[in-house]
Order: sequence, then structure tokens, then C-alpha cells
Amino acid sequence: MARLLRFIGAAIPMLLASCGLPRDPEKTSERVASTHELRVGVSDNPPWTITNGAEPTGIEPDLIRRFASSIGAHVLWTRASETQLVQALKEGQLDVVAAGLEKKTQWSTTAGASQPYGEDGQGKKHILLAAPGENRFILTLDTFLTEQMRASKRHQA
Amino acid sequence: MRGIPRKPNAEQELAKARRLAIISIVYILSTICMLFFVMAGSQALKTEMTGEFLSLIPPMLFLLGDKISRREPNEKYPFGYERAVSAGYVGAAIALLAVGVYLMFDGAMKLVKLEHPTIGGFPLFGHVIWTGWLGIAVLLWSSIPACFLGRAKRQAAEVLHDKTLAADAEINVADWQSAAAAIFGMVGVAFGLWWADAAAAVLISLQIIRSGWSELKTALGDVMDRRPLTLDLKEEDPVPAQLTEFFERQPWVKDVVVRVRERGREFTAEVHVVPKGDQISVEKMSRAGQLACEVDPRLADVTVAPVTKLPDDVARARQPAEQDS
Repeated sequence: MARLLRFIGAAIPMLLASCGLPRDPEKTSERVASTHELRVGVSDNPPWTITNGAEPTGIEPDLIRRFASSIGAHVLWTRASETQLVQALKEGQLDVVAAGLEKKTQWSTTAGASQPYGEDGQGKKHILLAAPGENRFILTLDTFLTEQMRASKRHQA
Repeated sequence: MRGIPRKPNAEQELAKARRLAIISIVYILSTICMLFFVMAGSQALKTEMTGEFLSLIPPMLFLLGDKISRREPNEKYPFGYERAVSAGYVGAAIALLAVGVYLMFDGAMKLVKLEHPTIGGFPLFGHVIWTGWLGIAVLLWSSIPACFLGRAKRQAAEVLHDKTLAADAEINVADWQSAAAAIFGMVGVAFGLWWADAAAAVLISLQIIRSGWSELKTALGDVMDRRPLTLDLKEEDPVPAQLTEFFERQPWVKDVVVRVRERGREFTAEVHVVPKGDQISVEKMSRAGQLACEVDPRLADVTVAPVTKLPDDVARARQPAEQDS
């Protein structure tokens, strides 16, 4: 019975996903798929994000590069302050923002907060921000990040 | 038993109504819990969850009111405690109206500001599922059992002549409408229509305002001693007319004014009688009062007052209201 429920619980959403649901109101996923560009904003917050080099480094930029390659895109970086980046996300000029944010960030109602990708030393969960309401894109990102989280947990165990 | 109509199955129905109230509370809490986890950035689900919180009040008031209203009258509260429940309902109805209006503006503002609701993935069973699908599942859970619960309550309300229970039943039955609106919102968002969510939220808030209004009407009518209405508040209850007829049939009655008030589930009546001639036996009068109680099982008490001339205010009780509300 439980296995049947698990099967139905997973099968229906996957079936719907294969029909392209949910969709992005502003078509972020389609744009990334056709231009192969992921527009990412990054604000300095070591060790999560380090922006003083030629290319941003740190935990989150590494994660985002892997995410971009998983959807067949390369990253276009924009460096600015957190506030400016969130504003750009809202206006649809960026797809993702990496700023070493915790799950309980003040921005989670302004922009789309992702699923946590990992925990810091104090057990606080860390997230990325995505363009608000681009639910297909956010679902793709969440799926990737959740797999990362699970992989890192398996690695620790 | 005090506080319920003299019907053979009334006590049984009261026990059933109490059970239904407890089931309602547990059920609503389970819905709130699930909604909390799946609401993500959805305004419709937030509105639905607030509505669920408010719908905890009627079953709680029912259980509480059932205890309080059954207390015996005493020197300080000579008419008993029945009105305490009505007062509670006035408060609950105003809360419902106020929150409904707030949520309506909240939803409308999201539309005006073109805010796109973010609903992402939810890790479940080793997969990541779009939270909107889970939201729809929870909405189905919040509406289908509520419908059956509402029907069972409605039945108990009719036997007990409990207007507040009837109003609660009505809200439960109508719950599918707000759930349907929220599902529409979720499906709309799935298809990339960002505005569907806030539009659904506005519809749900209208539903909350409507139930607040219907509860306020019920409760205010009770507090203001309005002439008894049937449970659905659409027709006049026949009891005042039946009582008037009963007294007019008595050979010693020249003129009569019957005023009936609802006190919770029961009726009490004040009857002013102008007798024919000066002599009238006390025995006849008190017997008439007792017999009058038999007219309807909901009549708990009939007070008969003999007068030589009808007091002006009492006589006015026969005039139709200038404005009907």
C-alpha cells in the first residue's frame, strides 16, 4: 500500500512535468535552453562567494557552474550588492543570485528562495535566490540542489 | 435535559453534535498543518489557511457554549447563560468579516503590484515534486471530508434547532467553493498564469466575508430578540402564530399579544392577555401557560400576563417593521 502510494505520489507529478507543467510566466527555462546563458548575480560573502578574482569562486559559484552545465548553459556573472541583485532578479534581468544567504533570509518573500543545498557549521541551511514566480526554472534548480544536498549527506555518512 | 428541545432523539443528536465538533477541530488542525508545509509563496493557500484558522472558532464556541449555556439561572443572571454564546458569535463573526476584508486587500495588492507567486520544488519520497501539486492534494483533503461533516452537522442542527451549528454546517458545505478557487489558482500558476493565484485568493476572501456576514446576521438577530426564523433564516418560524391562535381559541381571552424570543436552541414566550370580564381564575391562567408550552417542543417557558389594556409598546409588537432587515 505504502509503495503504491509512493508510486502514485511520484508518477503523477512526473507525468505532469513531462507535459511541461509548471510553466514559467516569463519563460526563463525556454530562454536559457535557447541562448545557453544563465545570468547569475553574485555578491561577496566568503566562503560561500568570493568575488575578488577574475571569476567568482567559492561554494556557491562552484555549485552554480555545475548546475549550468547540467542544463547545457554557461554562466554570465554580474557582481553587485545584495539589494541591487535582488532588484535585478525582480525585474527579470537575472536568473539566479548567490550571496551566501541562509534559508530565513529577508529576501525570501521578494524573490524565489530555492531549496537548501547545504548546511553551515551551526546547522543553518543555505539557499540561492531565483527569479520570482519562474516556477519551472525554480523546480529545475530545486531538483538539482536537493540532489546535491542528498549527495553531500551520503558523503558525510 | 436543560437547553435542548423536548424531542426523543435530542440528547442523542447533542452527543453527536459534540463528537462532530471535536472531529472538526482535529480535522481542521490537520489541514492547517499540511497547508503550512505546502503553501510556499501562494497567496491563495495563505488565504485558505487563514480561513481554516477562523473556521476553528465555531466548533470551539459550540463545545464551550454548550457548557456555559447549560448553567442554571441565578440571582445575578436571572435569565440563565444562553446569551453568552450569542455574544461569542457576534465577536467571531466580526473577526471573520475583518480578516476577510484584510485578505481581500492583501490579494488585490498582489494583483496590482504584479507579484508573481513563487512555488518551487518539495523533496518527497526521494524525488522533488512541484509544491503546487501537493497543494492541490491538500486542498482536496480540506474540502471533500468537510462536505460530509457539514451535512452531518446540518442534520443535528435541525433536530436541536441550533442556528449557530446550522451556520457552521453551511460554511463546511460551502468549503468546496474556496478549495475549488484555490485549486483553480494552483492550476493557473502551473500553466504560467501568475495572476490566477492572487485572483483565487480574492475569491476565497470573498467567501470568508460572506460566511462572516451570515454568522453576524444569525448572532445579531439572536442578541436583538428578533422574531424567530427557521434555521436557514429564510422564513418566519410558525411558533408565534401558533401560540397566538392557541390563546385566541381560549373562551376567556378577549385580546392577546404573543412575543416569542429565541434563547439558544429554545424559545421563551411572553403573552399579554386582555381577559373577557373582570373575573379570571389563577388556575385557568397557569394551566393555559402550561398547555401553551405543548404547542412546540422548543418552547421552554410561556409567561402569561393578564392586563386590562395592552401596554402601548406591547401593542406595537403587532405592527410590521418599517424597514426589514
